[in-house]
Amino acid sequence: MGVPYVPVRGLAGTDILARRTDMLIAHNPFNADEKDVVARAINPDVAICHAIKADKSGNSIFRRGGDELLVAQASDKVIVTAEEIVGEVTAADPDGQFISSLNVTAVVHAPHGAHPAGVPGKYEMDRGHINEYIEAARSAEGFRAYLEKYVYDKTEADYQSLVGIPAQEVAVVA
Amino acid sequence: MSDMTTMNCNVDELIAVLMSREIEDFETVACGTISMLPASAILLAEATHAPNIDIIIRGSEAYGQDIGRDMHFIAQRGKMDMFFLSAVQFDSGGNFNLHVLGDPDAPDRRFPGGYGSGMLAYTAKKVMFFRSEHSTRVFVPKADFVSGALKTGNEVSRPNQTFFCFTPKAILRWDTARERWALRSYHPGESPETVQESTGFPLLIPADVVETPPPTEEELQTLRTTVKELMIESDTYANWATTAFLPA
Repeated sequence: MGVPYVPVRGLAGTDILARRTDMLIAHNPFNADEKDVVARAINPDVAICHAIKADKSGNSIFRRGGDELLVAQASDKVIVTAEEIVGEVTAADPDGQFISSLNVTAVVHAPHGAHPAGVPGKYEMDRGHINEYIEAARSAEGFRAYLEKYVYDKTEADYQSLVGIPAQEVAVVA
Repeated sequence: MSDMTTMNCNVDELIAVLMSREIEDFETVACGTISMLPASAILLAEATHAPNIDIIIRGSEAYGQDIGRDMHFIAQRGKMDMFFLSAVQFDSGGNFNLHVLGDPDAPDRRFPGGYGSGMLAYTAKKVMFFRSEHSTRVFVPKADFVSGALKTGNEVSRPNQTFFCFTPKAILRWDTARERWALRSYHPGESPETVQESTGFPLLIPADVVETPPPTEEELQTLRTTVKELMIESDTYANWATTAFLPA
């Protein structure tokens, strides 16, 4: 990724294509007979991805089957938050998808940082909390009340305490 | 009204059986998340006439194949033989809407289809649409939003595709040459006239249109035993499978 655009077969004649300025129909430059949709690349300024573990250089391991590598490759700055900081992480690690430190700008030790989602081998998704959020998000007032309870003027430690996670130290290490 | 008593099944079973018949052995057959009917149709085909199919049921650990964005590229390079899609509206021009009802900028209702349907409907060789309601609010002259178009002329390069639509009343087929939805068959208890009455635009009705061959005893028994057990054991829409089928 980091490429200027990507061709996609599909989407012609849809209102998705009609309503977006970042997709259009173009000739295949290598085959004048072929026309496809091309989508302008999304290049985020900053990506924040939560790793199962990372080393201080930023070499890190993510859940399999996720899109973290794609996101990291497309973004200018990549902040890895990690459940655990370990001595050294290599591409040979069997625990998940490897992302090289070459892609990573900073590493943050953030235990339980995926909550209310889960981390493979560490903890499960908190379905109770997700259901609470779904209920809250049904109305503007409910959503505001959720933010008041968990987000506004709350530190990460406040949040973790509110959702029942024991106190942890959170520190930027690289 | 389709005659469910004579067919000895419920609507979900009917649609699952009819869709399973379209699957041919050795095909690569996939459905997305929240796709109970396609999942049961696929597993029924595997248990009966198509034991060697490659199955992708998104969201199922047993059948999801954990392929993530690989699914995108399997479809892009033309290796997806069949994909299943539902929609909230189908229109006379071959457009379907899986996105919003009402004004797209201030929708009355939102639905989950964003990108996937607009890619897979263009790349899968056979697209099986299904809808548990056959009415004039589903089959409309013009969809509120176009999530996918069956008719794109030479606007983009596109493979030769087959499109069917399975409902409680009939099976429709998109006639690519005439750019119209056609009646392929009407279910027992229906007629071409009753199907047309429930469709908000004129259907092509071939002179030799037939009644849908009803589900066989074997198809229904396999669905209610083997497929049901498989779905529960593999946690593939297990809750749904527990109550969806009539007793074996």
